[in-house]
Amino acid sequence: MSVVTLLRKIFMVDLIKGLSITFRYQAPSELVTEQYPMERPWIADRFRGVPRMSVNPETGEPLCIACELCALACPEKLIAIKSERNPVTKKKELLTFTYDTSRCMFCGLCEEACPSDALELTQDYEMAYFDRTGMILDRPKLEQGQEPTVYAR
Amino acid sequence: MSDAKIYSQLEAISSHEKPFLDSNEMVLNMGPQHPSTHGVLRVVLKLDGEKVMGLECVIGYLHRGVEKIAENRTYVQFNPYVDRMDYVAAVSNGLAYCETVEKLLNVVAPERAQYIRVILTELNRLASHQVWLGTHALDIGAITPLFYTFRDREEVLKIFEKYCGARLTTHAFRIGGCQYETYEGFEKEVMKLCDFVMPKIDEYEELLTTNRIWLERTKGVGVISAEQCIALGATGPVIRGSGVRWDLRKAQPYSGYEKFEFDVPIGTAGDTYDRYLVRVEEMRQSVRIIRQAVAGLPEGPIMAKVPKVLKPPVGEVYHSIEAPKGELGFFIVSDGSTQPYRVRVRPPSFVNLQALDSMCRGQLVADVVAVIGTLDIVLGEVDR
Amino acid sequence: MSDFLNYMKLNVTPGEAGNYYWATIYILLIFALVSVCVMLMTYAERKILAHMQIRLGPMRTGPHGLLQPIADALKLMLKEDIIPEGADKLLFWFAPVSVMMIAFTVYLVIPFGRTHAVTDMNIGILFMLGVSSLGVLGIIIAGWSSNSHYPMMGALRSSAQMVSYEIAMGLAIVCAVLMTSLKTGTGTLSMIGIVQAQEAQHTWFVFSGWGLGFMAFVIFAIAMVAETNRAPFDLPEAESELVAGFHTEYSGFRWSLFFLGEYTAMIAVSSIAVTLWLGGWLRPFSNALSGHTWDVAFNLMPGLTFVGLALWCIIGGARMPKIRQLKIQSIGLMLFGAMLGFIGLVMLLPGVRERVQDIYWFAMKVGIFMYLYIWYRATFPRYRFDQLMHVGWKVLLPTALGVLMGTALWGVLR
Repeated sequence: MSVVTLLRKIFMVDLIKGLSITFRYQAPSELVTEQYPMERPWIADRFRGVPRMSVNPETGEPLCIACELCALACPEKLIAIKSERNPVTKKKELLTFTYDTSRCMFCGLCEEACPSDALELTQDYEMAYFDRTGMILDRPKLEQGQEPTVYAR
Repeated sequence: MSDAKIYSQLEAISSHEKPFLDSNEMVLNMGPQHPSTHGVLRVVLKLDGEKVMGLECVIGYLHRGVEKIAENRTYVQFNPYVDRMDYVAAVSNGLAYCETVEKLLNVVAPERAQYIRVILTELNRLASHQVWLGTHALDIGAITPLFYTFRDREEVLKIFEKYCGARLTTHAFRIGGCQYETYEGFEKEVMKLCDFVMPKIDEYEELLTTNRIWLERTKGVGVISAEQCIALGATGPVIRGSGVRWDLRKAQPYSGYEKFEFDVPIGTAGDTYDRYLVRVEEMRQSVRIIRQAVAGLPEGPIMAKVPKVLKPPVGEVYHSIEAPKGELGFFIVSDGSTQPYRVRVRPPSFVNLQALDSMCRGQLVADVVAVIGTLDIVLGEVDR
Repeated sequence: MSDFLNYMKLNVTPGEAGNYYWATIYILLIFALVSVCVMLMTYAERKILAHMQIRLGPMRTGPHGLLQPIADALKLMLKEDIIPEGADKLLFWFAPVSVMMIAFTVYLVIPFGRTHAVTDMNIGILFMLGVSSLGVLGIIIAGWSSNSHYPMMGALRSSAQMVSYEIAMGLAIVCAVLMTSLKTGTGTLSMIGIVQAQEAQHTWFVFSGWGLGFMAFVIFAIAMVAETNRAPFDLPEAESELVAGFHTEYSGFRWSLFFLGEYTAMIAVSSIAVTLWLGGWLRPFSNALSGHTWDVAFNLMPGLTFVGLALWCIIGGARMPKIRQLKIQSIGLMLFGAMLGFIGLVMLLPGVRERVQDIYWFAMKVGIFMYLYIWYRATFPRYRFDQLMHVGWKVLLPTALGVLMGTALWGVLR
């Protein structure tokens, strides 16, 4: 052991170095805490959150063409679609569409499978409910989208 | 394994040296609920005082049957599930799986996709090692590095979120390439992250590397020789810490790793401290690779031509990559249908965990915690 | 009342005056104030630790989490009290009580000022050493009576730790006791006497003896961290190894007694370090900055500190984000600041400020130690059991012996 290392050991240079780092980080400018309900976290554009079904804003008709590709693509098979062939226009028409977010893992495969860009995973992320019924989204809920949560006393 | 069998196995371990004074041996159940078994690992310790005479790992508390799930999903559908195995390094899992299926399909991802994959997996290695460093230091009693590493990991996760929309279980890659094109300013942001993270790595080192308590707690603890590592099949930083230059990125390059220049750090003693140094140096090397990859990011398509419905030819394939924790391999048997006949995962944590017993014998209880930390296990991967 | 006035004229501690009535009041006062200090200490620890770890710490319970200690105390008292099956009920009950009682007993001899002590024992230091080393008994009882593996191991570790650090600690204390005999020729074991010796020698013992005093102080400072089971020597309750060590099986109120005992012991041991080496209640720079003006300036410090804290609170309250949810909090913070400001103004009054300042300087010095405790905890990894013994027996003990001999030689040769 050389003299320098011995001196460093006696004067606890290694410990003081560590202490100085923790001391420096006390500065309030170093804080990284987000006070969640008051400060909203930053969410990326491509974030995969609460699902939503788009509707044509002019007619109010769903963009969904009931092709069931999303239901096929879903690994958890949590999308259930019921459709009916319109006898007049010979087109498939969407009857019900349920999306069970309690089993969803937000992989985004349904979104990718959709040929008409009707289903999309939005940037909303507040999906905590007190029971499961709130987690199974039906057509009106999906078309309306998530209502922003308000925290207040 | 039933509890009775575990205890009877431990009963068979007898101390070859006569215990000091007339001491009683004690069997201690550590876990599955314990602050530092990194999840739900249960370790049954046989103790003489504080000295460990032998131990038995009990795993399976987080078993979800991922391999069985694979048999009932199509190849594309199984992709998100692999993220849930090693959730700390989800991107690496995705890469391993996608490359295996590509090998089965005889498809090669386009060059741009390969570069993006390299950037993201190396970022993920950085993030994974940051989690390891924080938790390992926490196990040894330094509670603060955890927060510094997690703060810096946040920056990595932000890039993941911007790129693929998720932070932890990313589902970033698809079979045949990448689903997402890079977002605007991707290169600049990754380079900025590299500049940001390098001084931070120095800072972690300043807190720990020369600290006498850290040295005492890690030097000569959990020693494992190179021969033992090879015999047990340990890979990754564990085998490199014992002085074997074995890195799949160099040994059998995949995804274009042969184009990048980087060193494979190795240790000499094979103890916890060497593995710590190896991992810290690996973080720096990852940054080096990321810089090269971003600088040379080529233009072009990001998705190879793969059919919409994947029906790989009958056959079987094994492919492995160097995940942050070691060799992560997928063995897939195809029967020609849309669903794999059998998927077998070779998780690095699971194999490395087998070294725990030989690393801990004769050490103290406090060392068991340090060794579990240094093996860098993720129970999601051990139990699958 | 006349009793009190008589006592005030005496300028001695109630114990010396033989005034049992006032001694009892002093004891109760210390009990209450130390408990309040422990509460403040838990708040400070959470806040400082959080800021070192780039977090905010408690923020929701009251303005900036100021009511957090009260919330914690309430929660602990209302929590279900669990006694594990197979535990020795009597000892299980006795252990936390004994830990707390022992921690508080040490305060009998700690002088917060010339007159601010319960009593002045002529064997004060010995009493304190004897009583504080009993603290480990409670821990061992707790570990044994829980009938569980982790507490048992924590208790064993604690006993070994205590044995290895008491000796180095004792030797360091002897150094300070030796130094008391330098000018006056007669050493003393009385805590008040030790401070008075430092006053007479016009130096704190930490600066005397060409660094010998400082070395003894450092040894004591290390040993006292080990003695109070704090990081990096917190082996008996090593969270990542033994879950919670000796108090794994305790919950609710019993656990809070352990907690109270631990923090009380921390304050007690720091007080001893302050008394022995840092001049107890003496104000700093009494040599360099002497004279009437400086005396007055230093007398004003306690009040000014409180006024400064009050201003900080009020400014902080005013600077809080103007959100509806935070309105009550900012008003609360301002009220708290106003309260502090009132206390500060009272302390500025002549007559009050002379009597307060002893306690103020003592508390300031203890506060530095409390900060160090938190700082260590934020920075260092934990020692292993055998390494801790190694440090105690092979490093601290020989050094302490050397320093003791050095001090003795220095005293003789001087």
